Amino acid sequence: MARIELNGIQKRWGDAWGVRDVDLDIADEEFVVFLGPSGCGKTTTMRMIAGLEDPSEGEIVMDGELMNDVDARDRDVAMVFQGYALYPNMTVYENIRFPLRMRGVPKREHDTLIHRAAELVELSDFLQRKPGALSGGQRQRAALARAIVRQPHVFLMDEPLSNLDAKLRQHMRVQIKHIQRELRITTVYVTHDQIEAMTLADRIVVMQSGAIQQIGSPDDIYNDPANTFVASFIGSPPMNLIDGTLADGTFTAPGVRVENLSGEHGGKVTLGVRPEDCAVVGDAAHLSGEVYGVEPTGDLTYLTLRTGDGSAGAPGGKMIEVKADRSYRAELKAPESVRFDTSRVYLFDTGTGRRLR
Amino acid sequence: MAKRRGKRRGKRRGESLTLRYAILGAWALFCLMPVLWFLSIGLRPRTEIITPQPIYLPSFSLDAWHMIWEDWPMARYLRNSVAAIIGSVVIDLVLAIPAAYSLSRFEYRGRDDIGFYILSTRMMAPAIVAVPIFFLFRNLGLLDTIWALMLIYAAINLSFVTWIIRSYMLDIPKELEDAAKTDGAGELRILWEIIIPAVLPGIITAAVIAMIFAINEFLFTLLIASTPEAYTMSVALANFTGGSDGIIYNAIALVAFLAFLPVFLVVVAIQKHLSRGLTMGAVKG
Repeated sequence: MARIELNGIQKRWGDAWGVRDVDLDIADEEFVVFLGPSGCGKTTTMRMIAGLEDPSEGEIVMDGELMNDVDARDRDVAMVFQGYALYPNMTVYENIRFPLRMRGVPKREHDTLIHRAAELVELSDFLQRKPGALSGGQRQRAALARAIVRQPHVFLMDEPLSNLDAKLRQHMRVQIKHIQRELRITTVYVTHDQIEAMTLADRIVVMQSGAIQQIGSPDDIYNDPANTFVASFIGSPPMNLIDGTLADGTFTAPGVRVENLSGEHGGKVTLGVRPEDCAVVGDAAHLSGEVYGVEPTGDLTYLTLRTGDGSAGAPGGKMIEVKADRSYRAELKAPESVRFDTSRVYLFDTGTGRRLR
Repeated sequence: MAKRRGKRRGKRRGESLTLRYAILGAWALFCLMPVLWFLSIGLRPRTEIITPQPIYLPSFSLDAWHMIWEDWPMARYLRNSVAAIIGSVVIDLVLAIPAAYSLSRFEYRGRDDIGFYILSTRMMAPAIVAVPIFFLFRNLGLLDTIWALMLIYAAINLSFVTWIIRSYMLDIPKELEDAAKTDGAGELRILWEIIIPAVLPGIITAAVIAMIFAINEFLFTLLIASTPEAYTMSVALANFTGGSDGIIYNAIALVAFLAFLPVFLVVVAIQKHLSRGLTMGAVKG
């Protein structure tokens, strides 16, 4: 159980930046998820916490102790890797036992600890198998058991579910969260999957180009995005972002007009609205366009509209995603109108992408 | 009806299997023909071998067998060969495994240059260094000893043994080492418990190839082993070509077969690893 502080962490390889000025305080027993696209620096940051990479600048502190010069094997962190990293020449039992042997845990305790860990991840029946004879899900659980067997101070998980199919991923997500809550171990989890981030995290750290874009609870990140990157990265489909002009509380863009917006901003702004905050209406609409695509999924229908220069059917317009009612159907190219929930409309500076509040 | 069709299909499958085995058997026989021919020479009387007319039903004789064991110290040659070869392979592995680990897993300045330098030692014609090596071993007092053969075989093979093992190590995901580090293992422990078991096929491949090269090595053995004290099988073969008895073909054939047999059996036993190892080495460079 540990508190982790990252103070001004940077990582450079020559002229290339991996991580820029990361400041983060992770509380004891907290579940923090680093979320971002490939190459955003999330895995590098985690590897620096693990001691597998040295920071170019900054401090890594665990429970008040500076860790920069402490070797990975002495940090008492356990890591689960994207490719599982199970030792192929050892059985599952031997794999789980490996960290116990390395940490000098008395031999007489090994068997009990291994069986307890295997039970926790529902792998007791496979202990004598080698990794090659396990399915993807079983390998993942074996890797998890190896990480939890010695109750480390910190769990680090690097996209551990990315190689699993959707159903198994959902099952493993629940299992990971349950185990983390039960063992109460500080956990840092890296993913590019927003659903994993939203469902697992106490706090999400959204990263882009090596820098933190926003830190907050899943609700904060979803409902109060700090910039257009966060707004467009979270949500499926992502938030609609429409570039336009704001004057006297009225936002206008080709095919879009929203009045009575609060705030004192003006000029070029980007309006953001999530697909579920758009409603298909006959009149009093904020946006008009033509139907570009209709995708029924059973519980709802995804409608893609193409806006134009104000008149339906105009070419080259912006695509707008709308979550419509499950019974909604329309012909392609049919004119359609949408109204936004103006209490859930966001404004961003078009130049910097920053949120205008 | 369905039963009859099933029967016919079963029969066809049986026929195709027989045909396949027949073709493969014929191919195997064709490939092994030189070896069998050699063996047949070794087990025939000497007079029968040098007759110009072909003999379709050769007679069987153990003359050569008795000759090589009773008139010649073949047991000593064999012992010398085995000791020098095994010793050299052990030296190679002890040196090559840590070298390959360093060249494949650590990053330091000049790493690739060092790797290429090691490989380049193999590119020199052996005759160029023959004389210096002779004087070197003479000054060390190692001429005509098994130790010298061990060292020379090890030196000849070290570069490619290192290179093959290195190619295997490059193939191991770095995650395995990272996992071992976070599990609390040090570098030596990682090498011993994680890396070596993972590259075992490569180590076996390299060891077998080194063995084959060492068995076939002739030039340096002839240079260093000047008396039967240090003769190996390959040099012993040369003894059957001179002297007052002329070329003793059946003894040569039998000794060559004896030199070939252990390597052949080892290769058959580990062929799965070997083919994979050779392919990997070739692709990875």
